[in-house]
Amino acid sequence: MKKSTILRFLEWFCPPELYEGIEGDLLEEFERDHSRLGLKKANRRLAWQVLKFFRPEIILRNRFTIQLINTIMIGNYFKVAARNIQKRKLYSFINAFGLSIGICFCMLIFLFIQDERSFDSFHVNKQDIYRIEEKSFDTWEHDSSDPYRKSAWIQTALQPALKEELAEVLYATRYNSDHTGIFRYEDKVFTEKITYVDPDFFRMFSFPLTGVNPERVFQNITEIILTPAIARKYFGDEDPIGKTLRVDNEGEKSFTVAGIIEPAPANSSLHFETLIPQENRPGYERNLKQWGNFNTPTFVQLAPNTNRATFKTNLDTLLDKYMGDRLERWRKEAVVPIPADVKMLEYEFTGLPEWHLKKEIGWEKVSDPQYSLILGGIAALILLIACINYISLSLTTSASRRTEVGIRKVVGAQRNQLVYQFGLESLILAFISMVIGMGLMVLFLPAFNEFTGKGIQLTMMSMLQVTGASVMVTLLVGFLAGSYPSLFLSKFKPALVLKGGFTSKLQAGFTKPLVVLQFALSAFLIISSVIMYKQMRFVTTKDLGYSKDQILVIPTQTGWNEEADKTVARFRTRLQQEPTVVSIGGTTSSFAQGYSRYGYKIKGEQKSAYVYGVDPEYLPTLGVQFVSGRNFDATIASDSSAVIVNEALVADMKWTDPLNEYLNYQEDTVGLGAKVIGVVKDYHFLSLEQNIEPMMLSMNKNDVGYLTTMLVKIKPGDIPATVEKLQIAWKDIAPDRPFDYTFLDQNVAKQYESYQRWMSIMGLSTGFAIIISCLGLFGLAGINAINRTKEIGIRKVMGAELQNIFVLLNKQYVYLALIAFVLAAPASWYIMNKWLDDFKFKISMSWELFAISMLVGLFIALITVSYHAIKAALINPAETLKYE
Amino acid sequence: MPKEYLGEFEELVLTMVGILGEDAYGNAIVSEIKDRVGREVNLSAVHITLYRLEDKGLVKSHMGGATKLRGGRRKRIFTITNAGLAMLRVMKDARVDLWKLIPQLKIVGI
Repeated sequence: MKKSTILRFLEWFCPPELYEGIEGDLLEEFERDHSRLGLKKANRRLAWQVLKFFRPEIILRNRFTIQLINTIMIGNYFKVAARNIQKRKLYSFINAFGLSIGICFCMLIFLFIQDERSFDSFHVNKQDIYRIEEKSFDTWEHDSSDPYRKSAWIQTALQPALKEELAEVLYATRYNSDHTGIFRYEDKVFTEKITYVDPDFFRMFSFPLTGVNPERVFQNITEIILTPAIARKYFGDEDPIGKTLRVDNEGEKSFTVAGIIEPAPANSSLHFETLIPQENRPGYERNLKQWGNFNTPTFVQLAPNTNRATFKTNLDTLLDKYMGDRLERWRKEAVVPIPADVKMLEYEFTGLPEWHLKKEIGWEKVSDPQYSLILGGIAALILLIACINYISLSLTTSASRRTEVGIRKVVGAQRNQLVYQFGLESLILAFISMVIGMGLMVLFLPAFNEFTGKGIQLTMMSMLQVTGASVMVTLLVGFLAGSYPSLFLSKFKPALVLKGGFTSKLQAGFTKPLVVLQFALSAFLIISSVIMYKQMRFVTTKDLGYSKDQILVIPTQTGWNEEADKTVARFRTRLQQEPTVVSIGGTTSSFAQGYSRYGYKIKGEQKSAYVYGVDPEYLPTLGVQFVSGRNFDATIASDSSAVIVNEALVADMKWTDPLNEYLNYQEDTVGLGAKVIGVVKDYHFLSLEQNIEPMMLSMNKNDVGYLTTMLVKIKPGDIPATVEKLQIAWKDIAPDRPFDYTFLDQNVAKQYESYQRWMSIMGLSTGFAIIISCLGLFGLAGINAINRTKEIGIRKVMGAELQNIFVLLNKQYVYLALIAFVLAAPASWYIMNKWLDDFKFKISMSWELFAISMLVGLFIALITVSYHAIKAALINPAETLKYE
Repeated sequence: MPKEYLGEFEELVLTMVGILGEDAYGNAIVSEIKDRVGREVNLSAVHITLYRLEDKGLVKSHMGGATKLRGGRRKRIFTITNAGLAMLRVMKDARVDLWKLIPQLKIVGI
């Protein structure tokens, strides 16, 4: 009889000894059914009956006899594991310490990655919201490897056009968050950040809004929306709705508080404090007519299920309609030849969830997905080092477990039972470490947030996720660290072990490569952090060509007008008698607070220069040195149209006698342009990531603008007192404007904040890696010394000196460390080269750096192992040898 | 009272094994239960119960001779052990003892 599929299925899951009886019963029933109910029904009933047999009592019967014994033994395993942990406190501590730090790191990184991925995910419409971006052929700074410039800044006029002409655009809003204004309410005057948006902003994004219907908000362009913190600042406990605030951003206007909006969470790409309708943005009317000016980011919400390709085509058509002629003209006028198949300008768009990690488009808080990778790599390194500790320590201490294994085997333990046992032991240790690691994570989280610039908070939800993730990591670690030792330990042959013929010498075969690997990983981290540290020191202590200490940066808070210049003059006069104020210089912008750059054509060549509007006090305040020529002089009328340039500009123009040259940056067709009256030594007005570019200074108000920032040089000493005096003086001359100040050296240092942050992270993890691997080494050296106690005793009896024994015991570690460094040096050289590439001004990676790192590493390793070596060498040989 | 406890279904199956003697195998027990108690029981449930009883040492099993029926498969014949019989007896006695304790056992209202 041919066997039906269903019976084969039965045979597959049913234990063989039961199979015949069951199948017989089923077939008997089948035959009865067949004669009574017909074949079809009988077949169906048979299948149903077989399925009913598919249950654990049948499937698992007799299959887990070993499992049965194991559950009996598990209590014993726990007991033995606990005793072992207790008996060898030092090794248990080393293992648990390393593993818990590793697990703690892993969890922090997990939280980091979660946070990175959760950016902007709280918006209900996130799937339909896009940011419009421009992609244009870069003719200014032509770079053939990356000829396009991408930016989220587009024309003001695009948003109305999108809403009007494209059916798929449900909502669209412009978003300018880079403005500040002076807010006044009764006697309260402060500077606040302003974000200009369109009414659709509130329909698109899910920031909770109270006090106003999102459909009706901003119907009146004199409405303002505040966050609760700002409302409290001005109105205290009063109801802010309906109150009037005076806001001054290039002209004062009155706004009525229409509603309160919840502040954006830390994982949001958009941040705002006050929201004002776009129509109030300075220059709005002018920009609305200008298709050539790119001055606002724009977001759209498309109808659900809009085809993205169609939208792209529609955008192209729209661009052609408004800018086609202009783009053609630009193409003809371009200095760099533009290939015909290249579009001068096109629109692209990015979905809201991808904004945060799209690093090629500049945005506040944009992040490089590489960070997650680097952090994850560091965590993995530390975990690996900790695992190696566990493996090498269990292998080298295996001698003491040998008898146990032998006895267990004699009593009847199977090999896989022993594997289970040792595996379980490592899992127990891993789980203990996990609990400690979770505690450490909670402890470290605030510091971690500070390091990474994040605002991660532990909620029930994230705690659950973290626990889940850490259980996974723990299982992995327990398995990874436990697998080799358990296979190794369970291999012993009982007869050999119990006979006692085994020597108790160190089984170093496999542990040596592990130690080398561990050393190499630590060495890699040491070298990297030494190089990072050197570079950061170089950056912070490098002579920038000007003095940045004791200089306060104070904005004049007047907007872009003549009042700014007057404020500087008045402030200077007011503080003339003040002995602690050295000098006050005015400028259009301080360092690290933006810049302006002029592009111009001279003799058909495209040139560009950074431009600072200054007054005669500016250069002396900064202590900049002249190469030739002189400073501006307020008494010489012609100086107002003259320029001072830096050496880079002279080199760029290939001038040999700069003081007799004119810089025609206005592209004046009649005159010669601005006369060069002085050349200053190159100084770093940009961050050290960039070269010193051509730069010029001018007093020409029409071309370069007004002095919106003051640099106040003060005497060292009681700085708070001086600042107090400045504040009083400010209240005298500008009682209606807030007094804000920053320190120039801090502003400059802020440019390197992210590098500093990475250096701290690197330093911290290097520290932990070193501690963990040193602990492991310490343990290993201890075992090694104990294993050789007798040998040392005999050597001492034969006349060996302390130093001979010291060398004998430590020689091997020096070799291991050297091998490790040889492995680690090229890897860290490669990685650090990439890191240093971000800087135009950098240290050279000399061999000394590597030598220093190596010596440091070797020194630490030697100190670690020496304790045991000296201890072993000092024991009286009579003690160790008396039992022989 | 023995330490082991028997469930109602286990007791039923064990009793049937006792009743059927040399003829006790899966299908026979199923139909015997249907005939005597009028209860439809599942073959797989009976099998599992038999194996469990065997684990407890209340029945033992051996393969019977082959027949032409059942596709030539042999039957697994279960027989009750002394322990099984003792178990049944203890349970019956305990039940009878309890039964006696119920007062005024009359059917009223006829």
